[in-house]
Amino acid sequence: MNKLDKTTIICRCEEISCEEVEEVISNGGRTFDDVKRITRCGMGPCQAKICTSMVAEIIHQQTGLSPSEIPLPRMRMPLSPIKLETLATNSTSFSAVKSVLDEVELEEGKVR
Amino acid sequence: METNYETIVIGGGVVGSGIAYHLSERYKEGVLVLDKKYPMSGTSGSTQAWVWVHNKTPSWYAEFSMYSAELYPYLSKKIGDVEYKRTGGLSPFFNESDREKAEKLAESYRKIGIKIKVLSREEVLEKEPYMNPEVAGATYSSIDGNVNPFRLIDMYMRAAKRNGVRYSTYNKVTEIKKQDGKYSVVSDKGAFECKNLILAGGTWSREIGDMLGVKIPVNQLRGQILVSEPLKPFLNFTISGLRQANNGEVLMGYSMEEAGFNRATTLDVIQETANMAVQYVPGLRKAKIVRAFSGIRAMPEDGFPILGKVPGHENLYVAATHSGVTLSPLIGTLITELIMDGETSIPIDRYSLRRFG
Repeated sequence: MNKLDKTTIICRCEEISCEEVEEVISNGGRTFDDVKRITRCGMGPCQAKICTSMVAEIIHQQTGLSPSEIPLPRMRMPLSPIKLETLATNSTSFSAVKSVLDEVELEEGKVR
Repeated sequence: METNYETIVIGGGVVGSGIAYHLSERYKEGVLVLDKKYPMSGTSGSTQAWVWVHNKTPSWYAEFSMYSAELYPYLSKKIGDVEYKRTGGLSPFFNESDREKAEKLAESYRKIGIKIKVLSREEVLEKEPYMNPEVAGATYSSIDGNVNPFRLIDMYMRAAKRNGVRYSTYNKVTEIKKQDGKYSVVSDKGAFECKNLILAGGTWSREIGDMLGVKIPVNQLRGQILVSEPLKPFLNFTISGLRQANNGEVLMGYSMEEAGFNRATTLDVIQETANMAVQYVPGLRKAKIVRAFSGIRAMPEDGFPILGKVPGHENLYVAATHSGVTLSPLIGTLITELIMDGETSIPIDRYSLRRFG
């Protein structure tokens, strides 16, 4: 871990360097998810499986937070990429999902 | 850290940071932004970030949204590339019976200068060849688009800081007092004083208002989104329901649930979202889904923005709204005008907190 220099690639999927991670922390970021949102580190196909511990190490070195105080990245379903058709059920009735036009309401034949 | 400021903004999301940046363009007095976590950890970081105008109703609200969309190219020039793309927006429908509603929408908008076309099936497929050939038609407007929300807020913050704005993050506000004509804002990292106080707490507006005895009727509405692996560019427009980002990822989802602050993703809504996506663009069937995320949107009780001076409280301002990404450049401009000039270039009386009585 002491071998990281500024150009070391921390996130291979999105090609994010050590320097980019460090900049987020120096601007006030404190968690993996702060780093993720600003740099895209951990947003690629591996979903942070490679970079988590290296980012935690950088946060630890820059802020002095102990590893137990650094929250893990929020893990996102489906954890490993799966095809959209695996999730689809082929139903065409919707409840929570809407179309924008459905929200347009007519009142006496006119748009509200 | 300095504890006296001319203006404090509570909330560093797209609305709060937008206000702080616009203020800093004209105003060199001290401005402090307080955020309970880090900007983007709430609503502003969990959105498809459409800059959307053309299906908003009533037409006066669409007109308000249009003015904000018009500011985006200019904003990008000022703060840096926020990946704003005015792609045009397409809202498909699959039943011929929806055409009448679409025509009525187009007709009511013609009067305010928002041009909506109602497209035939063939016209939709010509514009967006990967759309389901069973589509009946779509409404289309050239003003709609999308932006990268992470870059937008990061650039707002960077530009604001260059202009002297201070940010204090991971700093939750716990109490607000009014003393000797000033506001005292007590936070986890100490107390700060200011003359002007701006409440831009988004989904937490109600809780922040309570600290001053002000009722800000904002509720929470959950939305869930699926993200694909990067695909070659194949979608031309911002489709209501899905869009393709610069890096090729497709973001899919348009759902609404009342779930309080619960940000879980749930299999039933993920499945419905998958069904919607394959109904719109069947070719997505084989695309890999990399992740699902959910966000909590702020939703004022009547659906419309709450903007401007808080009645009965001197130097207290509120900006709480749904569609913060679409409206942020306009809200930043208007709140700045209100503070600096005492009036706004377009009327915002309609959006006053007063309407809730």
